[in-house]
Amino acid sequence: MRLEQRGDAPFLPQGLSLAASPAYMRPMLKIDNLTATVGEAEDAKEIIRGLTLGVPAGEVHAIMGPNGAGKSTLSYVLTGREGYEVTGGSATLNGEDILEMEPEARAAKGLFLSFQYPVEIPGVPVMTFVRTAMNSQRKRRGEPEISAPDFIKKSREVAAKLKLDAEMLKRPVNVGFSGGEKKRLEIYQMMMLEPNFLILDETDSGLDIDALKTVAEGVNTLRSPERGMLVITHYQRLLDYIKPDKVHIMAAGRIVKTGGPELAHRLEAEGYEGILGEAV
Amino acid sequence: MTTALRDLIANPTAAELELVARYGMLPEDARRERAFLAFAKGGLPHRRVEGWRWSDIKAALGAIETPPQVNAVDPISPSGAIHFAFTPTGFTWPETLPEGLRMLAKPEALAFGGSEDMPLGALAAALSGGGRKPATLLIEVSGKDLPPVHICYSGAGEANFARIQFVLRPGAELALSESCLGGAGFTGTLVEFLLQEGAKLRRTVYQRGSTSEVVAMTASAELEAGAEFTQTTLTFGAKLARLETHVTHQKTGAKATLNAAYLCAAGFHADITTHVRHGAPACVTRQLTKGAVLDGGRGVFQGKFFVPRTAGQKTDADMQHNALLLEDGAEVFAKPELEIYADDVECAHGNTSGALDANQLFYMRQRGIGEAEARALLTEAFIAEALEEAGELEAVLRDEARAFLQKA
Repeated sequence: MRLEQRGDAPFLPQGLSLAASPAYMRPMLKIDNLTATVGEAEDAKEIIRGLTLGVPAGEVHAIMGPNGAGKSTLSYVLTGREGYEVTGGSATLNGEDILEMEPEARAAKGLFLSFQYPVEIPGVPVMTFVRTAMNSQRKRRGEPEISAPDFIKKSREVAAKLKLDAEMLKRPVNVGFSGGEKKRLEIYQMMMLEPNFLILDETDSGLDIDALKTVAEGVNTLRSPERGMLVITHYQRLLDYIKPDKVHIMAAGRIVKTGGPELAHRLEAEGYEGILGEAV
Repeated sequence: MTTALRDLIANPTAAELELVARYGMLPEDARRERAFLAFAKGGLPHRRVEGWRWSDIKAALGAIETPPQVNAVDPISPSGAIHFAFTPTGFTWPETLPEGLRMLAKPEALAFGGSEDMPLGALAAALSGGGRKPATLLIEVSGKDLPPVHICYSGAGEANFARIQFVLRPGAELALSESCLGGAGFTGTLVEFLLQEGAKLRRTVYQRGSTSEVVAMTASAELEAGAEFTQTTLTFGAKLARLETHVTHQKTGAKATLNAAYLCAAGFHADITTHVRHGAPACVTRQLTKGAVLDGGRGVFQGKFFVPRTAGQKTDADMQHNALLLEDGAEVFAKPELEIYADDVECAHGNTSGALDANQLFYMRQRGIGEAEARALLTEAFIAEALEEAGELEAVLRDEARAFLQKA
C-alpha cells in the first residue's frame, strides 16, 4: 500500500496506532469496521459489511460504486435514519461517537446530508424551514438564536451567490421545484447552516450539465480546511467539477479499493467489473 | 315537574330529565313547544341513531352539571368588531349598531324548519332564552363594508343555549366570527342564515372546551342566487363537541365553502358533520376538512352532498377529508357521502387518513429540527390549508393550532 503525503492516517493497516499523528492528519469522520442492516428483525438485511473509512478535515473523498453497493445506506446510517440498524463497528465525527445520537443531534454537531431526492414539505416555506433548523441547531449547541434581520441578511447573500430567486425562498420547501432547483436549494441550506461535514448523496442525479456546474460551484465554495466532504456518486462526471482528494470504490457493503482522482477515470474507462475483478 | 312533561321522553336519562325541567320553566310558546317536541321524540341522539354512531351524545351527557371551572380566554378579536356574548346567566350586546346592521332580541322562539334533521338544533331552539337572554336574536344585514361581528358563547354553569338568525339582504356582505369557549356542562347553539341574492358571508367558528362538557353547535344556511357562504371552523373538541352545518343551495349560482380543521388531544372528541343540498342548478360547493388526532383523541367527519335529479343539474362539488393519526391510539371516523340523482354534474370526494410522512420527518431532523418540533411543523402545515379561507382571522387560527401542536 502506497502512503501519500497527507491524510492517509485512516488507511493505515489495522493495528497501527494513530496516536502519534498530528491533529490535522486525524480523520474528521472516522468509520471503523461498520456493519449495519436495513429492515425489521427477521427481514433485516446486512447492507454495510465491515466498512472502514476516514475523511480528514479539508479533504473531499468520493465514494463510487455500482447499484446496490450500499452507498445511500451508508449515508442514512451515518445520519441516523430510522429503519437502519448498526450491528457493529463505530463512526465518529471529531472524535465523538455519532451512532447513538438522534439525527437532529448529529446535525447540530455539523453533519449535513444532501439528499439524492430532496423531500417536498408542503406548507412550510423555505425561509421558515431553514431558520427553524438553524435555531434548533444553535439551541442544541448552547448558542444564541439568530435574529430575524441577521437571518434575512445572510439568506440574501447566499441566495445572491447561488443566483436563487427570492420568491423561491418564500415557497414551500421543494414543492413544485425542478430537479435542478431542488439541488440548488440543498446547496443554499448547506451555505446557510455551514456544517462541518457534508455528505452529498448522488447530487448529480437528475441534473443537466448547466445545473450540475452551478451545484458543483456551490459545493466548491464550501471547501475549506475545517470542513470534510464525502461525495457519493455513480458516475465520474460529477468529479470533473468537484475534484476529490481521494476516491473509494464501494462494493457489497465495504470499501474495496482506494486511490487518487485517477481511480475515477479508470473506472470510467474500465467499468466496475474491470476494477472490481482486480480488487477481489 | 308534571307527569305530562316527564313523559315527553321515553325512559329519560338524568340529563334528559333536566332538559325537560328546563323546558318546563320557560314561558309557554307554541313554536318553542314544537321545537322541543321534535327533540323529545328521539331524546338525546345516541350511537344507534344514523348520523350519531360515532358521537353518542346520550352517553357523553350523563347528567347536566357545572363542570370544573376553566378560565378560557377568547383568542378571536377581529379589529373593530361588534361583540355579542351569550353566557348561562345573560346576554350582552352593543348599545348602538352601525347603519346596515339591525338587531331584534325576540323573547319568543321562531319556527325552526330543520328540527327533524337537527335534533340538537331543535333543542337549542326550544331552550334558548329566559332571564336576560332572547329566545331568538335576529340580525338583519343590509350593507357592505360593515365592521365584523363577533359572537362569544361562554361561561360557567349547567347549560347555555343560544339561537341567532341572520338575514343578509341582497348584496349584503359580512364577516362573522363565533367563539364557543364552553364552560357550562352543556352548550347548545343554533345559528341560521338566509343569504339573499348576491349576499356574501364569511363565517369563522372557533370551538374549545374541556373534557367535562358537551358542546353542540348547529348551523343552517340557505343560499339564494349567487350568494356566497364561506365557513372556516377550527375545533379542539370537548368531552364531545358536535359542529353540524346544513347548507341548502336554493337558487342558481350559489357557492358554499365549508372548511374545517379539528385537533384532538387525549379525552377530546370533535365531530364535523355537514349536509349540503344542491337544490338549484349550477351551484358550487368546496369542502376541505383536515384533522390531527393524538392518542386518546377522537375525530369524526361526516359529509354529505345531496344532488336531486332535476334541480341539481350542473352541480360542481368537491369534498375532501384528510386526517393525521399522530400517535397510536388516535381514532378518526369518516363517512363522506355523495348522493347524486342528476346526470350532468361534477362531484368528487377524497378521504385519507394516515401518519406523518417518515421521509419528511427525517429530512427535517437531518437539518437539525428536533423530532417534536418537526412533527408540530408538519402537522401545522397539513392543517393550515383548511384555514386559508378565514380571511383576517387565518393568522390567529393558525397561531392557536400551532400553540396546541407545540404542546402536544
